[in-house]
Amino acid sequence: MSVSTVLSSRVRLARNYSDLPFDLSERPDLAEDCLSRTAGALATSGADKGFLLHRMADLSEGRRAFLAESRLISGDLARAVQTGAVLLNERDGLSVMIGEEDHLRIQAIRPRMELAEAAGDCFRLEDALSKQVSFAFDPELGYLTACPTNTGTGLRASILVHLPMVSQQGKSGEVSEMAARLGLTIRGVFGKGRLALGDVYMVSNHVTLGRTEEELISAVLAVGRHLTDLEATLRETSRREERLTLENRVYRAWALLRSARTLSSNEFYNLWSSARLGLSLGWIEAEADTLDALLWDTLPQHLVAWRETALDEKKLNEARAECVLNALGKLF
Amino acid sequence: MICDECGQREATVTLTVVQGTERTLRNLCPECMRRMSNAKGMLSAIFAAAMANMAALAQQRPAETEVEESLEEEALPDKTCERCGMTYAAFKQSGRLGCPGCYEAFREELQPMLQQLHGRTQHAGRQPLQTEAARRTRSRQEELHRLMSEAVQREDFEQAAALRDELRAMAREAAE
Repeated sequence: MSVSTVLSSRVRLARNYSDLPFDLSERPDLAEDCLSRTAGALATSGADKGFLLHRMADLSEGRRAFLAESRLISGDLARAVQTGAVLLNERDGLSVMIGEEDHLRIQAIRPRMELAEAAGDCFRLEDALSKQVSFAFDPELGYLTACPTNTGTGLRASILVHLPMVSQQGKSGEVSEMAARLGLTIRGVFGKGRLALGDVYMVSNHVTLGRTEEELISAVLAVGRHLTDLEATLRETSRREERLTLENRVYRAWALLRSARTLSSNEFYNLWSSARLGLSLGWIEAEADTLDALLWDTLPQHLVAWRETALDEKKLNEARAECVLNALGKLF
Repeated sequence: MICDECGQREATVTLTVVQGTERTLRNLCPECMRRMSNAKGMLSAIFAAAMANMAALAQQRPAETEVEESLEEEALPDKTCERCGMTYAAFKQSGRLGCPGCYEAFREELQPMLQQLHGRTQHAGRQPLQTEAARRTRSRQEELHRLMSEAVQREDFEQAAALRDELRAMAREAAE
């Protein structure tokens, strides 16, 4: 299996200035101080190449929602309209969110299983900043954060994995239990509640204190590998024992994706998952990057940004189908 | 209802204090409740009472809670962070601390919570570059990383493993 089941990797570091209260949402003066320190430190260090400063107040609601959908900023930051800001390097997937729950959320998103590299991106940014400013740190408790769930390393490492077979065979529960014992969480990415639309799952650490950053990242990678192996085994069995069923699923989805003129998000995720499975099995000709990009490009705010107009449910579904046709080519 | 303790302020919570077989009802104002909670004993019970009181306030009726008096009971965290004014009770409600100083102010209370959340309470990760020791450690770590990749390249895995162990040991030491 040459196409990775790991879609992307993300690391974020929570950091705070020792002399400011955590919540700056009611204190525009302090929020401004926090912003100018951060932007100043990044500029002085010379690490600001490719970064642009955006104040939430200067961005349209649509643009804020678009950035949140892309995960380049958090939903909380998008809502911090008055005091939030972000130093963003969109091309390299790097963001320094300012005035979130913590003063700074340094984040890097990378493709595939480049989790260690994403961590490296964050550490480089942190090092650049901390040559100029000092962050709240306690020798016993580590980096101090607004919520004790992030105390210590302030690090959250996550990977997105596509697990159609694990999902279909109801194995995600037992994997979740194993992950929990390692201080990790597995949950669906798209859809509300316990749904994992598109069979896309996020594996992330919830423990942040008492382990080194390396250990936390290794744990996420280890569970990621375990899931990938389990998925591969299940696919192999299915390919051997239920080939017709599997082919039917993959080729139907592949044909529908390239023919549909309207696609609800639920239908899209189902078809996408089957097509992505076919791609991993080497049954369909497509670029993994193209298919994976559709996961984000078909999200509502992305479609609105693409069409440059507000869209109701019906128009969204039509735009989604057209977006897919453009990316994959029209069959009919 | 006037407070049984000070006889002046409005009582907002009714406590049933149990001492052995004896039960006494006490109506208290927030001020006296706070003061009493700083005395030893019956503390977490009062905290529970305060919680019940809040729930009752929402329904506009006085709360009634039983309090077991015990000297062994853990002290109720009713502390205030001097730097930002955040109280421990307010933190318990919101789950968010007020400022980095809160970690010092509520250190005792946060310990068990951190233990529960993370399974450990001693930081083992990176340290700010500002501390000289951390800077020295960092440069030694970088050197070890370099030596380790060199060892891997010449397929000297024994040496590489030794270097990896040294790196791990350093990470642990850095935490202590």
